[in-house]
Amino acid sequence: MRPSRVPLVVSLLMAVFLYIPIVMLVVQSFNAARFGGHWEGFSFIWYERLLDNRPVWLATRQSLIVAVTSTLFSTVLGTIAAWALHRYRSRLQDAHYLLVYSPLVVPDILMGMSLLLLFVNLGVQLGVGTVMVAHITFCTSYVAFVLLGRLQDFDFSLIDAARDLGAREATIFLKIILPLLGPGILAGALLAFTLSIDDFVITFFVSGPGSSTLPVHVYSMMKHGTPSLINALSVILMTVTFSLVLISQPLLKKHTQ
Amino acid sequence: MKLKFFLPFALLLTALLFLAGCGGGKPTLYLYNWADYMDPDLVKEFEELHGCRVVLDTFDTNEAMYAKLKAGATGYDIIFPTSYMAKLLWEEGLIRELDLTKIPNSVHVDASYLSNKAMDPGMRYSVPYMIGSTGIAYRSDRVEGEIDGWNAFERTDLAGRMTLMNDMRETLGAALIYLGHSANSTNAAEIEAAGEVVKRWMGNIAKFENEQYKSGIASSEFFLVHGYSGDLLQVIDEDEAIVYVLPKEGFMIGCDDMVIPVDAPNAELAYTFINYLHDPEVAARNTEWVYFLAPNSSAYDLLSEEVKEDPAVFVPEELMQRAEILRDLGEDNTLYIKVWDQLKAGQ
Repeated sequence: MRPSRVPLVVSLLMAVFLYIPIVMLVVQSFNAARFGGHWEGFSFIWYERLLDNRPVWLATRQSLIVAVTSTLFSTVLGTIAAWALHRYRSRLQDAHYLLVYSPLVVPDILMGMSLLLLFVNLGVQLGVGTVMVAHITFCTSYVAFVLLGRLQDFDFSLIDAARDLGAREATIFLKIILPLLGPGILAGALLAFTLSIDDFVITFFVSGPGSSTLPVHVYSMMKHGTPSLINALSVILMTVTFSLVLISQPLLKKHTQ
Repeated sequence: MKLKFFLPFALLLTALLFLAGCGGGKPTLYLYNWADYMDPDLVKEFEELHGCRVVLDTFDTNEAMYAKLKAGATGYDIIFPTSYMAKLLWEEGLIRELDLTKIPNSVHVDASYLSNKAMDPGMRYSVPYMIGSTGIAYRSDRVEGEIDGWNAFERTDLAGRMTLMNDMRETLGAALIYLGHSANSTNAAEIEAAGEVVKRWMGNIAKFENEQYKSGIASSEFFLVHGYSGDLLQVIDEDEAIVYVLPKEGFMIGCDDMVIPVDAPNAELAYTFINYLHDPEVAARNTEWVYFLAPNSSAYDLLSEEVKEDPAVFVPEELMQRAEILRDLGEDNTLYIKVWDQLKAGQ
C-alpha cells in the first residue's frame, strides 16, 4: 500500500501558511513604495533611513536589554517554580499553582493596568526596572508550564540511584537534573524571550520615561512615521537570529556527541 | 539550598531597579510625544545648547496616554496631546497652568489661530505645536476637471471610487460646512439637513474608510478620498498624480499641543524647550521636517516656497479663516449620534 500523501500536502500547506508572511516581509523591505500595494522597484531606502533613525535603535536596544534580562530571571524562577509544583503537594502548592497559572489567563490589558496601579501605589518610579519586573512576571508562568510538561517524563529514580551511589546534591544537580531538563529549559527560555520582545500592551502601561521598547515605538509610528522602516529592521533581526542558530547548531552537536 | 540560588538573583534585581532609577549627571528632559514628530537635529542642538539630555517616549493614541496618566504614571516633562485631550487633561487637573513669562517666544504663536480656533486661546495650559487639516485628495490622472470643494462628492461619474471618513464629526461636519453652517453646529435642523447630504453622498462613495484610503488611493482603487493631511502627505510623497485640496467652503483643522504635567520633574527645562521650539527659525525648520504646520507667524516667512505652496502643509491666511476645529459638544453630541446612526443603519 502506498503511503498517504495527505501528511505531505498538509505540512507543505502549513509551511506556506507560516512562512509566506515572512517572505513577504523580506520582499517588502526592498520595495521602494511606502505602501505595500504595488512594486516601485528594488531599493535600500528603508535600510538607509533606518540607519539614520536613532529612536528606533534606542528602542531596539531597550527591547533587547529587557528581553535578555527577563528571559534570564524568568527561566530560573520558572524552572524552580515548576520543580516545586511537581515535587510537592500541599495547600500551599495549590495556591502557588494558581498564582503561576493566572498570568496565562488574565488579559494583557488587565495585567498592564493592575501592574501600573501597583507600581504607582508603591511609589516606584516607572522605567526599565518596572518593565523588566512586569515581563519577568508573565514570562515566569510560561517557562514554568513548559517545564511542568517536561517534568512529567522525568525519571526521578535516577536521582535516587545517584544518591545511592554517593553523589552529592550539587553533582546530582549539575550532572543529572540540568542535562535532562536542558532542552525544556531552553525551550522555555526561547518562549520567554519571544513573548518579552513583542509585548506591547503590558509594556505600554508599565513603561516610564526613557524606557519605550520597540513595539511601543512602532505603534506610535503609525501616525507620523514610516512603519516600512520596520520591515527592514525585522529582516536585520531575523538575519542575526538565523545566523546565531546556524553558528550554534554545529557547536551544540559537538557538545552532545 | 534554594535560598542560596535565589538570593544573588534577588539582589541583582534590586540593584537593577535602583540603577534604572538613576541617570547621568546631566539634567534630563523627558518628552512624551508621537514617534517621528520632531526634527532630531533640532533636539540634538538643544541638548548641546543647554548641556542636557532629551529622552523621547512615544504613545500611539491620545486615549491610551490618558489612561496611563490618569492611573498615576509620572515622570514626563512635556506631553504632546491633541487639543481636545489637552482640554480634558486640564479639566482633570493633570497638567499645569503655564507661566508665559517663561516662554517669551509665545508672542510668535499665530494670533489668528489662537483667537479664532484654539480651544485654549490664552495659552493658559497649552501651547500649540503642530496643525494638520482634513481635506480631499484625488488622483489627477483619473479625475476629470478640477476638484476644489466638498461638491466633489456629488459627482456621479466618480461613483464607487470615492471614500468618506468613517468618523461622525468629520463627515457630518464636512456636510455642514458644505451647506454653509458651522461644523460645530448644535442646531438639530441643520444637522439633519447635513445628514440628508451625507445620505446623497453615500450613493456615490465606495465606503466609509478611516485607514485603507491611503493604500486605496495609492493603488488607484479609489480616485478621491476624504482624509487627514498628514496621512495623505505620505502618499503624495510617492505619487505626483495625487493632489491634496483644502475645500473652498471650509474644512477641519486639528492641533497637537504642548503641555506640562503637574508633577513634571524638570518643569524649568520644559519651559526652555517649549520656548526653543517656538523660536521662529526652529519652528520653520521643524515644519520643513515634520511636514505639519507649526503655528508660528514669524516662522511663516522663513518657510521654503515648496512648503508654502503645498496646501497639505501650509494653510494660507485667507483659507485659515474658513477652517474650524471640532469642539466637544457635550450633551449636544447626541444630535449627531442620532443622525449618524440612522445613516449607518440604512447603509
